[in-house]
Amino acid sequence: MTLAISHLDLLEAEAIHIFREAAAQFRKPVLMYSIGKDSTVLLHLARKAFYPQKPPFPLLHVDTTWKFKEMIAFRDQQVRDFGLDLITYTNQDGIDRNVNPFDYSPSVYTDVMKTAALKQALDAHGFDAAFGGARRDEEASRAKERVFSFRSAGHRWDPRRQRPEMWRLLNGRLGAGETVRVFPLSNWTERDVWRYIQRERLAIVPLYLAANRPTVERSGQLLVVDDNRLPLLPGETPLVQSVRFRTLGCYPLTAAVKSTARDLDAVVEETLTAKTSERQGRLIDHDQSGAMEKKKQEGYF
Amino acid sequence: MTASARRTALPAHATTAPSPVMAEPVPLLQSMPPQVARSATQARELNGILRLLTCGSVDDGKSTLIGRLLFDASDLYDDQRATIERSRLAGSSGLPDFSLLVDGLAAEREQGITIDIAWRYFDTENRRFVVIDSPGHEQYTRNMASGASHADVAIMLVDARTGIKKQTRRHAAILDLMGVRRVVLAVNKMDLVGFAQENFAAIAADFAKLTTRFGFTEAIAIPVAAVTGDNIAQRSANMAWYTGPTLLAHLDGLPSRITQAGGHFRMPVQTVLRDGLDFRGLAGTVASGQVCVGDRVTDVLSGQSSRVLRIATMGRDLEIASAGQAIAVQLEHDLDIARGAVLSGSGAEPIAATLLDTRFVWLAEDAFDPRASYLLRTATDIAPIARLTISALLELETLETLPARGCAMNDIALASIELGRPVAVDGFSEHPETGSFMIVNTLTGASVAGGVILAARAREKAVAFTASTGFVVTRATLAAGLCSDLGDSAADRAEFERRVLELIKLFGATGSAVSFDI
Repeated sequence: MTLAISHLDLLEAEAIHIFREAAAQFRKPVLMYSIGKDSTVLLHLARKAFYPQKPPFPLLHVDTTWKFKEMIAFRDQQVRDFGLDLITYTNQDGIDRNVNPFDYSPSVYTDVMKTAALKQALDAHGFDAAFGGARRDEEASRAKERVFSFRSAGHRWDPRRQRPEMWRLLNGRLGAGETVRVFPLSNWTERDVWRYIQRERLAIVPLYLAANRPTVERSGQLLVVDDNRLPLLPGETPLVQSVRFRTLGCYPLTAAVKSTARDLDAVVEETLTAKTSERQGRLIDHDQSGAMEKKKQEGYF
Repeated sequence: MTASARRTALPAHATTAPSPVMAEPVPLLQSMPPQVARSATQARELNGILRLLTCGSVDDGKSTLIGRLLFDASDLYDDQRATIERSRLAGSSGLPDFSLLVDGLAAEREQGITIDIAWRYFDTENRRFVVIDSPGHEQYTRNMASGASHADVAIMLVDARTGIKKQTRRHAAILDLMGVRRVVLAVNKMDLVGFAQENFAAIAADFAKLTTRFGFTEAIAIPVAAVTGDNIAQRSANMAWYTGPTLLAHLDGLPSRITQAGGHFRMPVQTVLRDGLDFRGLAGTVASGQVCVGDRVTDVLSGQSSRVLRIATMGRDLEIASAGQAIAVQLEHDLDIARGAVLSGSGAEPIAATLLDTRFVWLAEDAFDPRASYLLRTATDIAPIARLTISALLELETLETLPARGCAMNDIALASIELGRPVAVDGFSEHPETGSFMIVNTLTGASVAGGVILAARAREKAVAFTASTGFVVTRATLAAGLCSDLGDSAADRAEFERRVLELIKLFGATGSAVSFDI
């Protein structure tokens, strides 16, 4: 007998399968939780994978201290609602040296406050596997990424050490010094993430919904003035207008788009007919050519 | 015709009722006002996923073909369309360069990634397509085999000027080995032979002759010109003599492996989920067949069986689950089984096998080493290989088998595998999910080979229980003695690893056939 299964059902089942494989094979996994929409979907799938148990691993949030206030509030609410175990980690050395997104280039800032922080956190807790929300459709250098992406000592992504993956078999046996990043959303597209959030009626950070927010425009990008930590340039006056975010990172590095989509259905409608790809809104990706590929080698997702 | 034009032409699709097993109806369809029907079509859930492997070399125009499929079928973003438009203006031919949608970064190409498969996605109004692109350079056997293991259908690409080549024959052989049952020959660059029917007919005839040697259930040829889009998504005005479907129309109608997964019920157990004293659920993905509440199921390894009391998923319980669904099964009488077990219908069990006849592709750069220690990774089990004996290598062009004792990267080997303990498996042809495996290097963890099970049996009584199959060093063995001084700190774990590696080296050096299951 042949039953038709929708593509979202298949993607969901595949992600659950990956979660269960990783949890069964690795000694101490952790879920990289970045609060954004991909993390929301990732967390929901983790809960489904182990239901009625709670996910058998903690969440790890690498806090750069430059997240939007609403993101932190949302994070804490999710942790409370689902009774989860949250670990937050900040690179204290970066704080001590006042590494911030205004005085440092996006690549230096990201390297210190995200990449180095992530490695420190994984080492400090001895995690051998970290779930991430990366998708192959995001960017050219990710199109060849594995579901189990192996990192050699020092968290370096070595293309020669990547393992072939065949059928549904996931080999999680680690060599000496190896750790692994696990990507349950590998085969999802940006549109699938939104379709799924809508289908499952998942709560998302309100910043994804349009609202009147104070904005300034810099190099063609619309920045939201979240609090007084965004230094205004001479002649800049914040303009209040209806904007939302397609992707959420650190607030000065993530640009907003003009939008009047004030609820989930409107956002999904707008996203599914969008004319530009989502990473256009992230300033770090424009910083240098091949930026993502370089960051991946160094350990950024 | 563009994707959006087709949508407008086929509004009926927008209101197609959701399939019976869909978790919930799509709310968007019910709440959207009529004026946004076009995007409602995009928002609805697609009818399954078709995974499509492309085989061919750069010379055959493969990147252009994939780029053209993405361009014609999907809702590309404006920045991507602008890139294509710029290439039209920049190039001397005046034709757009569709391969720009496919090629990755230059630096990445130079890195020499071990197995090189790129994944790309596009949607028609009907379904999701996944394009699995395995480059056709010198490492192509393992790349293609790896890609083919995921594919529902393969597009084999040839140049209309040169037709079937040796490489095409090798590709067909690899596809057949990996269980791809549907193939499409895209005869590309028809524009360069004046769209001549004779050229296509000759190649299609060669292809028909070639494919009869294999186990394909369907093999059709389509004349196309990727660069101009003839017969890709759009029926070619230049080839009125061709009456078959366009490439995209053909692909749109094909069933995927998963929705066709026949065979008996199989669910490899991934993990056991607990909730207080009342719930112990065997969690896994249904590999084939289906299971209903009340069915009697068996674990062939322990010989125990019970009835299905409940099929649990978050949100709701199911009455029935079929291939591809991730579930947790609660049994009437709790069986003491764990990861590695395969649940099956009673009376149609897999084989609790210790002897396997197999065919595999050697993937690793290091050749097979008879002194090394290997593990067999099946659906959810991993067991020490006591003995791996290669009998022959398959010559892909002639399909002859040549006697051999060893194998190296890209070789396809016939081998018997003797396991240290029974593992629940099936023959690949009936049950691909429980009939496939990977071979893992015990020391490095690397996946060194991937293959299929041709036959499996329990150990014959005549086979003596020798020392080589009897002694297995496990983590527990080590923790009890040699490593009893070590705890769970990072330093202790590193020390544990160091001792294991030393042991393996020492045993290897003395020639002792000891297996490590750690």
